Amino acid sequence: MRVLLVEDDPKQLMPLQMALSQAGHSVDGVKDGETAQWLLLEKEYDLLVLDWMLPRVNGVTLCRQFRAAGKTAPVLMITARDTTPEKVTGLDAGADDYLVKPIDLVEFMARVRALRRRSPLWQGDTLSLKDLHLHLDTLTVERQGASVSLSSREFQLLEYFMRHPRQVLTRHQIEQAVWEWGTEPESNAMTVLVRKLRHRLQAVGAADWIESIYGMGYRLTPPETHES
Amino acid sequence: MFNRSRRNLARWFTLSMGSILVLFAGVIYQIEVKDKLEALDRLLYDKTRVMAASVHYEVRQDQSQVDLNHVPLLGSGSHPLAEDLIYVRWYNAQGQLVRFFGASPPDQLNASFGYLTVQSTDPLLENEIWLRQATLPVEGRTGTLGYLQVATPLRETQQELQQLQMALTLTVPIALGLIALTGWVLSGFAMQPIRQAYQQLQRFTADASHELRSPISAILTNAQLGLLIAPNDSHYHHPLENIVDSAKSMGALVNNLLLLARHQGQLTPESLKLIDLNDLLKSLATQFATLAEQKTIDLTYEQPEQLIELWADPDLLRQAIENLLNNACKYTRAGGTIRVNLVPYPGWAVIQVIDTGIGIPEADLSYIFDRFYRVDTERSLESGGFGLGLAIAQQIVQAHSGSIHVTSVVGQGSMFQVELPLKLPS
Repeated sequence: MRVLLVEDDPKQLMPLQMALSQAGHSVDGVKDGETAQWLLLEKEYDLLVLDWMLPRVNGVTLCRQFRAAGKTAPVLMITARDTTPEKVTGLDAGADDYLVKPIDLVEFMARVRALRRRSPLWQGDTLSLKDLHLHLDTLTVERQGASVSLSSREFQLLEYFMRHPRQVLTRHQIEQAVWEWGTEPESNAMTVLVRKLRHRLQAVGAADWIESIYGMGYRLTPPETHES
Repeated sequence: MFNRSRRNLARWFTLSMGSILVLFAGVIYQIEVKDKLEALDRLLYDKTRVMAASVHYEVRQDQSQVDLNHVPLLGSGSHPLAEDLIYVRWYNAQGQLVRFFGASPPDQLNASFGYLTVQSTDPLLENEIWLRQATLPVEGRTGTLGYLQVATPLRETQQELQQLQMALTLTVPIALGLIALTGWVLSGFAMQPIRQAYQQLQRFTADASHELRSPISAILTNAQLGLLIAPNDSHYHHPLENIVDSAKSMGALVNNLLLLARHQGQLTPESLKLIDLNDLLKSLATQFATLAEQKTIDLTYEQPEQLIELWADPDLLRQAIENLLNNACKYTRAGGTIRVNLVPYPGWAVIQVIDTGIGIPEADLSYIFDRFYRVDTERSLESGGFGLGLAIAQQIVQAHSGSIHVTSVVGQGSMFQVELPLKLPS
């Protein structure tokens, strides 16, 4: 998933970001509300993790603006404020969940997993498209009994494809989804990554699911034959 | 809490100032009584002297022949002195009655000399009247000629004193009221800096606890990240887990401190909800039954037949009972029992948590609700306590206008009793 993590304390931001990356998410970690505001205009995210107290624009305002823009991606609020009225304010601003500091990383990851289950393709702990199953915990892809594990970036790419099947995804969109903000991919990096993913998928006989659309980008198309 | 101190202060102020006022009024009254009597006595003395001056006598063979014919009232003819005097009596030197005016006197002089307040029967109206009587010797050249006894009614003096008494009984309570009012206002002023200092301390505790959350959170998540990244490296595993545990326990401590700092004094009416106490205890008993079972402790809850509802903050009340149950589970050995009772009393609900645990020594009983007080430091540390659980429980119960008591016998167990008023605290 593409996660926007907004937290002003770098000592808190770093472990959360690393833990999320470890779990196979593409994380943009920023330290202030204004940057987050701008990023939300630029990119699409599957999950927002917002600290309440942020410099310039606070988390609650960010959340309200995000909801006002009609976005439905889940929002997880993290804060040192713990009274009931404050929790109500946070949830009413549009947050889906609420974690009070000190944050237990184990619980945090469980909450993220819980929010991730909102995807319509969600089945257990996997994303499934026809008979292709992407296991989100183990970063493996499985089809017809064969399975292969993916690198974190390959996994992110495939997850993005699987969340948007049969849809032409431009190079720009993929770049936004897979590469974290501020890390510019080399000119041929995406081509290389897609080639790598195809190679992995070959092991489960699904290499040809990824189509190259010349001049535009790529598309994940499950074969229409002998399907139920 | 502040109101109680303020009431105490005002009460003591009123009591002390009131006593001084009452004492003062009493002394004033006594002085007035003495003054009036002295004035009266002077008057009597003057009159007696006038009378004594008109006693004529002749000395024959060293015997004085006393002639009382010229003495006003006793002698012939009326005299302006009569109006104030109830009676005048002349006794000879041997104390025998010789002549008198007014009510019939005893034949023998029986009163001692000097001034006396006596009760006598009014010869005309036949009711009891108070008199001031003076008995004075009249001296002649050869010695005492006899004794003059005169009396004047005390009515006027009494009336004046009664007026003073009346004035005092009216003004003293009013003054007492004013003193009480002043006491209340003054104690209000006196409480102000204390209240401020206390609130500042509360706010500081709350702020500090709040601010501590971020660094603790950073410690916890960083250590957990370390565990996540190096899950199989036993070298790092143990210290990292220690950091995680310590950070978690610091987090819990900070939460407890925040709880203590926030819920001081009475709760706001908005935070209160009408809750079914039976439901709350039932769910808590179920929650703790599992924990107790692991230690092979038998936890039972006896439900009352009637519905017991009260106004309370459900989260806080739950926390208070949780702390009691936690303690009970912590300090009861395997095979023991914990009983939870809910007993209805008129206007009150009583919750009892009775365990067959290790008990609390007598010397510790009065301190166990103090913050950071631990009966047995070693054991408490082992079980991860801060010594705040009971302080929190007590504060929550007091915030609901209730009270909490403990009875305990070492080796036999303890009983914590929480009494909560069913009425909405005003």
